[in-house]
Amino acid sequence: MDENILEVKNLNMHYETISGDVAAVKDITFHVKKGESFGLVGESGCGKTSVAMSLVQLQADNAKISSGSITLDGQELIGLSENELRSVRWDGISIVFQGAMNAWNPVIKIGEQIREAIREHYPNNTKLQNIEKIKELFEMVGLSETIIDRFPHELSGGMKQRAVIALALSCNPKLVIADEPTTALDVVIQDQILNEIKKVQDLLGLSLIYISHDIAVIAEMTERMAVMYAGRIVESGPTKDIFANPRHSYTRALLESTPSVVGDKVKLNSLDGEPPSLIDEEFGCSFSPRCSNPTENCKSGKSEMGLIEVAEDHFADKCCVECG
Amino acid sequence: MAKYLINRALQMFLVFFIFLTSSYLLFNAMPGNAFQSLLLNPNLPPDAYEKTLALYGLDKPLFERLQLYIINFFKGDFGYSYIYFPKSPVELIAERLPRTLMLFSIVNIFAFYTGFLVGKILAWRRGSKSETWITITSVFSYTVFYPWFALLMLYFFGLKLGWLPIGKFLYPEKWYDAPFDSDVIFVNMIWFTVIITLVQFIAYVLTRNIESISIRRNLRFTSFVLILIGSYFYWGTGEALVRRPYAADIAYHMILPVFTVTLLAFAGTALLTRTTMMEVLKEDYILTARAKGLSQKRIRDRHAARTALLPVVTSFIFTIVTIIDGSVLTEQIFSWPGMGQLILQAVLREDIPVAMATFSFLGIFALVAHFLADISYAYLDPRIRIKSQG
Repeated sequence: MDENILEVKNLNMHYETISGDVAAVKDITFHVKKGESFGLVGESGCGKTSVAMSLVQLQADNAKISSGSITLDGQELIGLSENELRSVRWDGISIVFQGAMNAWNPVIKIGEQIREAIREHYPNNTKLQNIEKIKELFEMVGLSETIIDRFPHELSGGMKQRAVIALALSCNPKLVIADEPTTALDVVIQDQILNEIKKVQDLLGLSLIYISHDIAVIAEMTERMAVMYAGRIVESGPTKDIFANPRHSYTRALLESTPSVVGDKVKLNSLDGEPPSLIDEEFGCSFSPRCSNPTENCKSGKSEMGLIEVAEDHFADKCCVECG
Repeated sequence: MAKYLINRALQMFLVFFIFLTSSYLLFNAMPGNAFQSLLLNPNLPPDAYEKTLALYGLDKPLFERLQLYIINFFKGDFGYSYIYFPKSPVELIAERLPRTLMLFSIVNIFAFYTGFLVGKILAWRRGSKSETWITITSVFSYTVFYPWFALLMLYFFGLKLGWLPIGKFLYPEKWYDAPFDSDVIFVNMIWFTVIITLVQFIAYVLTRNIESISIRRNLRFTSFVLILIGSYFYWGTGEALVRRPYAADIAYHMILPVFTVTLLAFAGTALLTRTTMMEVLKEDYILTARAKGLSQKRIRDRHAARTALLPVVTSFIFTIVTIIDGSVLTEQIFSWPGMGQLILQAVLREDIPVAMATFSFLGIFALVAHFLADISYAYLDPRIRIKSQG
């Protein structure tokens, strides 16, 4: 069980724009073990989705991966040709997309859109086999078989999201990335979908990367997690440890901004300021302008960023660890 | 669905009625009439002009004539041509229509197909050098003054290079002792084209549900080759063998007009396809399709182009109608004796029965084309299908 299905090492990715390079992913290192669910959390624009898209190299055309390595089950993904990548996509890594509403092509039947993916990766299957497979998947995610012949607009948001999960599982992927799969749904449906993902994960022993801005969801869904800020991972480790003993001030701020269901009413703390622009070159700790107790070192930009191990398998940015 | 169809039929009838009345009034609003030239002849008896007018019923008041015309029209009586007297407008149209249909159906198919293909590729290669150049060319051919360009083509290919005939739809000397009329050949060629298109279409539909992409592609290719072989045998045996050189003569005369008009007509489709397709390419489901590991070609053709097809089909159906109207210009330039020339002649010489018959034909054609556009909408976009059923 300890084998790593995915290893990302020192990944750097930037978008080339007219006003300069936007460094969206900076020196990211993490790994996902087989059968484990791994959470990525951070505010909007911190690079969560950029990381996910870099894994299958589906970023916009102006995105460039400048250095780093991504290994999926022992296979290096950086530097593969487009055709080689195509066989990795969905078969190796599949994605449950952010906006399920728009993830389906409006003019093609749901069944056909799933079959199309299976057909691409298992060209020798018969039509009957593929339909059987889809029925199986639909039963797993709690959809009726009749959905196969429906068009996307005939489904509700929740049904579409369930169908997207079925789609993501259709080629027995080694790793599934769930990119904020519940963002566009109401709370009740959100809960159902989360349970569905959990159930499926237990059932199939999936390796999962769960991306969300909602730290509560991450707590519920994942065993290990990483907190991202301005394109960097600032803290990573077992979810339990991080919640029990957050070492980075940003993680602490995130935790403080989440209401607790039990206990007295307390005023929530919100974090002032904005994340830094990713175009500017960074000096020192990128979080220092918003940090609650920065030292002189942090402010003057003398401290360097980098993860250090603070407890077993628990890493945090050294600047904050040193400050206390 | 039945209710929708009845509704549409009533609507179309009403529009057609208004169209018919207003065109009749417009033609009659032109100064003079078809027989005024009689007055120029000093040798004719003085009452000949009045007698002729009375013979054709032109002495009656306008409203009465209109009433009579509309009643007769719906009885199926379109009167007689003033100029080609014993012939009825229907006979004239029947003679001219195949020539126009042959030319413009081929132009339309070519223009739509190349336009869609080019537009698709332009959107897909957005930002490349070839995209820029092809777009500039398309904009040029979309905006160029058409008669000037057609004359230029005639001058270059017909006169300078001498490769292609300058006008007419056949060499008269070749047809001097031909055992049949040119219309027979035209009708024959049209049927031939329709049948091979149908066969290819049926082959396409039958292979739709085959799961393996490579088998499907091979089957479709085989059907294409079979059609080629089949048409080779068709033109190589029996009656068709005799007709072949004549058909070839007509086909040879068609090359330049088809090429010229296609060159001009494809640009509109191409530019529109490019624009809509670029919108579609931004959609999330294109990302899904890429993430699924589908090939570039499949994403382009199945996911992007299929959704982009909708506005293109509508605009195409509007252009079909304008292209038939535009045949007036084309046929004049290429001396192609089809519907366009008939319309022009009828209007200039105030041959009202013929002008009315040709115009109402165009009107019906336009109405039916728009109706078909609505139907094809429902086929292309399932979201509309639901609404129209309700």
